[in-house]
Amino acid sequence: MERLINIDRRIIFVFIFFGTLVPLLYPTPFPIEPSKEVRSTYEEFERVAKLNDPAVLLSYSYGASTEPEIQPMVVAILRHCFANDIKVVGICLWPEASGLAQPAMEAIAAEYGKTYGEDYAFMGYKPGLQAVIINMGQNFHDAFPKDTRGTPVGEIALTSNINSLTDFDFIFDFASGDSIEYWWIPYGKREVPFAGGCTAVMAPDLYPFLQSGQLKGLLGGLVGAAEYEALIDHPESATAGMSAQSITHLIIIAFILFGNLAYFATRRGA
Amino acid sequence: MTRENNLFLGFVGLFALVNVFLFTTGKLPADWTGAGTMLAAGLTLALYSFLYRDNPLFKFAEHVFVGVSAAYIFGITWYQSLYGEIVVRLFGIGDDGNSGNHLLLVVPTILGLLMLTRFSQKIGWLSRIAFAFFVGVGAGFTIPRYISAFLIEQMEPTMRALEWSADGFNAILILIGVVAVLVYFLFSVEHTGAVGKISKVGIWFLMISFGASFGYTIMGRLSLLIGRIRFLLDDWLHLM
Repeated sequence: MERLINIDRRIIFVFIFFGTLVPLLYPTPFPIEPSKEVRSTYEEFERVAKLNDPAVLLSYSYGASTEPEIQPMVVAILRHCFANDIKVVGICLWPEASGLAQPAMEAIAAEYGKTYGEDYAFMGYKPGLQAVIINMGQNFHDAFPKDTRGTPVGEIALTSNINSLTDFDFIFDFASGDSIEYWWIPYGKREVPFAGGCTAVMAPDLYPFLQSGQLKGLLGGLVGAAEYEALIDHPESATAGMSAQSITHLIIIAFILFGNLAYFATRRGA
Repeated sequence: MTRENNLFLGFVGLFALVNVFLFTTGKLPADWTGAGTMLAAGLTLALYSFLYRDNPLFKFAEHVFVGVSAAYIFGITWYQSLYGEIVVRLFGIGDDGNSGNHLLLVVPTILGLLMLTRFSQKIGWLSRIAFAFFVGVGAGFTIPRYISAFLIEQMEPTMRALEWSADGFNAILILIGVVAVLVYFLFSVEHTGAVGKISKVGIWFLMISFGASFGYTIMGRLSLLIGRIRFLLDDWLHLM
């Protein structure tokens, strides 16, 4: 029993590897039931879609290290926006986000036949963290004088009438760091509804902001993205990862149970 | 030759063979995209090789990652911040006439330069001016906003009116949890009697929250693994 407790961790890695590999190669569909916080994010976008000339701000605050979790959310939300004729302005608060978000915006916009400058615009990265948010709250054109193509924001049809954050109907942040909790919630405009998508590691810390209404909705990790894909009825990479996620979770639960049983068995024998 | 060296050579040889096969069968295009995919696959496998044991391949990939990240962030910061904000908007160099005149940018530019004086023992004291400004402005912005966002607005759901519903039950749980955890962190009173019992309830709430955080952490890490394995199976090997 002692030997079983001190099992080589590489054996666990092998189980996890095959637990991921096999469901990806031979997918087994698992039921995906959208949670309350993901559904409320979806309903916010649906509410915005009913407004006259709706525009949302998508803030990209993630990088390559969290791309597998966040990118499926980006794709799903862009699809939802473009399918409902919601105009999208994209900004980056993380330097790495530009290279990930811009291609996604352009690819999804092309898929829905959207025109740059009229239906969507990409402002790129601006250093300054929360200072950028404060600046946008005062004067959007001062915070982002030009887009990534070098066009002044005043000359872009979509952004010419956006003077501050309050001119957006909804703000959504894709976060893999402090951006939701320490930048947007304290320094964003309270009167503009705000929601976020984050890595699974961050999600438990953000639930209190759902209770208080500071967050209108929350997409937590790959499962949040999969639930959103289910809501827009467009299953993609997040949904494909769910069977692997479920199998690996079962393996880990089995190892935890096994480890605890072995521990108690050795303690009784001692 | 040691077992480790054999494993290392075997891994590199197998990786080379697989790539030759992928390029010759046309599964990977013979262009920069194909080369990039091959490189990304190689670096992914090199980083995961640490799960077996620390090795030169892992070290190489780790150093490449650190170097590329630093260079990328330097490039972005230079073009978006130093060049875009100061060189263009302040000095008008490379300006197409649309940036306007931003003389006020002189102030943060000077403060930024003052920070660099820390490298000099003789004039390093000048950096204190910049730091004093930074700390003062930071505190001025942060204190009221944090009190509002993290204290006042968080108190509202804790004091919500009770009702016979799932939300009402949640409100009671939140109230009990907040009070019990606060009592647990009340170190100026001995944790005996009623205080001890309430603080034990607080420990249970803390343990449950740690468990939830740990569960979410596992989910997050596995999502990243799924993303990488999907890349290897789909983009690199074309098996999906």
